[in-house]
Amino acid sequence: MSLARRKFLQLLGLLGAPTVFLLVFFFGPLLIMLVYSFLTPGLYGGVDWIFSHLNYGRILGWADTRYEKFDPVYIAIFLRSLRLAALTVLASLLVCYPAAFWISRMRPGLRDFAIFLVTLPFFVSLIVRLFAWVLILRPTGFLNQGLMGLGLTDAPIEFLYTDFAVILGMTYVFIPFMFLPLYGSIEKLDMAQIEASSDLGATRLQTFRKVILPATMPGIVGGSVITFIPALGNFIVPSVLGGAKVLMIGNLIEQQFLSARNWPFGSALAMLVMTAVLVLLIAQFRLAGREERS
Amino acid sequence: MILRRLLSLYGLLFFVFVYAPILLVVIYSFNANTLNMMIWDGFTLDWYRQIFGLETSLAESATYVDSTDQLWGAVRTSLIVALSTSVFSTVFGTALALAVARYRFRLARFYRTLMMLPMIMPDIVLGIALLIFFITIGMNLSMLTIIVGQSTFLISYVFVTVSARLAEFDTSVEEASADLGATPAQTFRKVTLPGIAPGILGGWLLAFIISMDDLVITYFIAGTGNTTLPIHIWGLLRRGIKPEINAIATLMLLFTLLIAAIGLYFRSRRQK
Repeated sequence: MSLARRKFLQLLGLLGAPTVFLLVFFFGPLLIMLVYSFLTPGLYGGVDWIFSHLNYGRILGWADTRYEKFDPVYIAIFLRSLRLAALTVLASLLVCYPAAFWISRMRPGLRDFAIFLVTLPFFVSLIVRLFAWVLILRPTGFLNQGLMGLGLTDAPIEFLYTDFAVILGMTYVFIPFMFLPLYGSIEKLDMAQIEASSDLGATRLQTFRKVILPATMPGIVGGSVITFIPALGNFIVPSVLGGAKVLMIGNLIEQQFLSARNWPFGSALAMLVMTAVLVLLIAQFRLAGREERS
Repeated sequence: MILRRLLSLYGLLFFVFVYAPILLVVIYSFNANTLNMMIWDGFTLDWYRQIFGLETSLAESATYVDSTDQLWGAVRTSLIVALSTSVFSTVFGTALALAVARYRFRLARFYRTLMMLPMIMPDIVLGIALLIFFITIGMNLSMLTIIVGQSTFLISYVFVTVSARLAEFDTSVEEASADLGATPAQTFRKVTLPGIAPGILGGWLLAFIISMDDLVITYFIAGTGNTTLPIHIWGLLRRGIKPEINAIATLMLLFTLLIAAIGLYFRSRRQK
């Protein structure tokens, strides 16, 4: 057996089974979901194999039959999810950027330990971390007790089940997602450049805007994308901290599958989320590619 | 100087923000107050005793755990699923990483990009897609569907971890081994495998932890008979906040820290 042939067989041995597995169990399900989004929901749950574009029509505006009517509430929920995810990204940036800057200036041993401490909560059960915030935010919770103890408020403030709680929860949960890409680009900052900028008479703000910000832009973009995506489709955080009041697209999808039992419509909603995610990824890919070339 | 001080202060507040909620859960898991768990009312181990089915001094009305058996059943399911899933994903993820790093073929770049997809796919999308898929091909929801479903994205995590290790690993050692007359199989067993072992171990631990914690995807494909630990706690939370959740959470925390510590220990031993 020739060497090339043997190499080829080895490669096939390594790639074959995992490739087939992923084709069947990862791409297969996504493909079936796409198909489902164009089918007609059955009368008692289930699905009829009849082509229909009305699942999308209900969301985007052209469905007008007795059962399948356009309702602007769906697009409103989608837009709210986009807004909450964007605000989460913004909050994460504000929380993580200065912290990453601080940690990048520590001495090496301490620095590694600090990074370890930031990533550690990622391995702590998500549901436990959210539960902690319920304890803090609820009317009899830690925050309200503190505020009332200080005399800042007489009656407990309703923090739980608000947009604020959902954004706070998502920011908290996704800290490692934002922190690590940010840290990666802040660490690479050229201190000589920053000093040169201030030597030449630039104010701190000017140095930040003209030197530091552009140099750390890849980290900002990377962290933002990787935080935005799981925030957009999230349904655990809004369920725990948003209750029935703050509905996100993830909750809507869950309802279609577990209570409304309208799988085709749920699939169409999920396709919407997936499309948004793919568009974002492609845009970031292009942007990163252009930066590399220039 | 002032700016530097402010930055340090901000940094410390950042760590308070990250750790205070977790610490709060731990502290209040020892709170004896059965009515309002946020008001400290003395130290107790009763919540822990209750989880382990021991006798407690709690009044009957204060005990919320419907059945300790349910909790431990969920722990058992989670462990079985996490063990199978992590081993399976480690084998497939490592094979893919080896193929992409050590062989020249046209699709290598394509594979690298492709392996990012399962990690970046919103889990609710993957969860419902898997649910539709399993139902359509007539596969009953069971522990097997959970294992298959979780593997679809955990393979990617192992792939990334092992790939990182392979990139650091010097190929010249492998070449030297071949030059000294070792067969490819010998080189793989005696040189490559020990070299990337920390990456494989790290990937396996990562897959294990993520599998133990996965809620969304498992939630959709678990069916009724297979409650994992996160789903069990999710159920408890939905029925109301109860003090013993603090104790369960603290025990889970300890368990995760233990695994993370094991991972770090092996990594530091390797580096010496």
